Amino acid sequence: MNDRVDLPQAREVCPTTTRRLISEGALLVDVREFTEVAQVAFDVPGVLLMPMSELEQRFAELPRDRDLVLVCQVGERSLKATYFLMYHGYTRVANMEGGIFKWARKGFPIKGAQPAPAAAAGGCCGAPAAAAAPAACCGESTVDPIAPAATGACGSAAATAGRCC
Amino acid sequence: MDIKVLGTGCANCKATIALIDQIAKAKGVVVNLEKVEELRDIMGYGVMSTPGVVIDGKVVHAGGVPSRGKIEQWLAA
Repeated sequence: MNDRVDLPQAREVCPTTTRRLISEGALLVDVREFTEVAQVAFDVPGVLLMPMSELEQRFAELPRDRDLVLVCQVGERSLKATYFLMYHGYTRVANMEGGIFKWARKGFPIKGAQPAPAAAAGGCCGAPAAAAAPAACCGESTVDPIAPAATGACGSAAATAGRCC
Repeated sequence: MDIKVLGTGCANCKATIALIDQIAKAKGVVVNLEKVEELRDIMGYGVMSTPGVVIDGKVVHAGGVPSRGKIEQWLAA
């Protein structure tokens, strides 16, 4: 069966960074099951649905030459899916931490019912008004979001230690 | 024999460890049994379904508690 691969830490991005990545051409891959998606979905053009239950059979459909951001309900399954793709040689892949719950809390577009109890929409890096900005938070917008695996959630080196967004 | 059980701490993972340990002791087979609970380490074996079982570096099982017969076969090898 499978050989062991020493995987690096998966790259994780926040919803704000995810929006920017999408605007720059990244593909959002939702790994939740269809029943979950029927209740609430990311209202993002071109979002690809690939449930965890089908990932092993279908992952080859995912492009290797495009940035992928994997999403789920809270960011746990998509983290597993991220590692799975890394195991299979995908390098342009990131996990969106917090899942659709966090995405919705930010007020980002969804279709369907609100997935989580209303909570104070946390501002990006402590700036309440910055959450809706499509550009990267933390004042960083020029860092390549995918290539450096060790950078912070918003692509800023300063965010490496803490979790921005 | 080096046996790793891959799983993030679910009930089936614990049951798998207990079963392997029990059968190994009953058969008098010396095994080095180790839990691998870190997601990154688990996914390093490409295993999507846990528990997974790795014997001497090879994944021999993934998903669900392995049967007693299967474990006995591993230990006899």
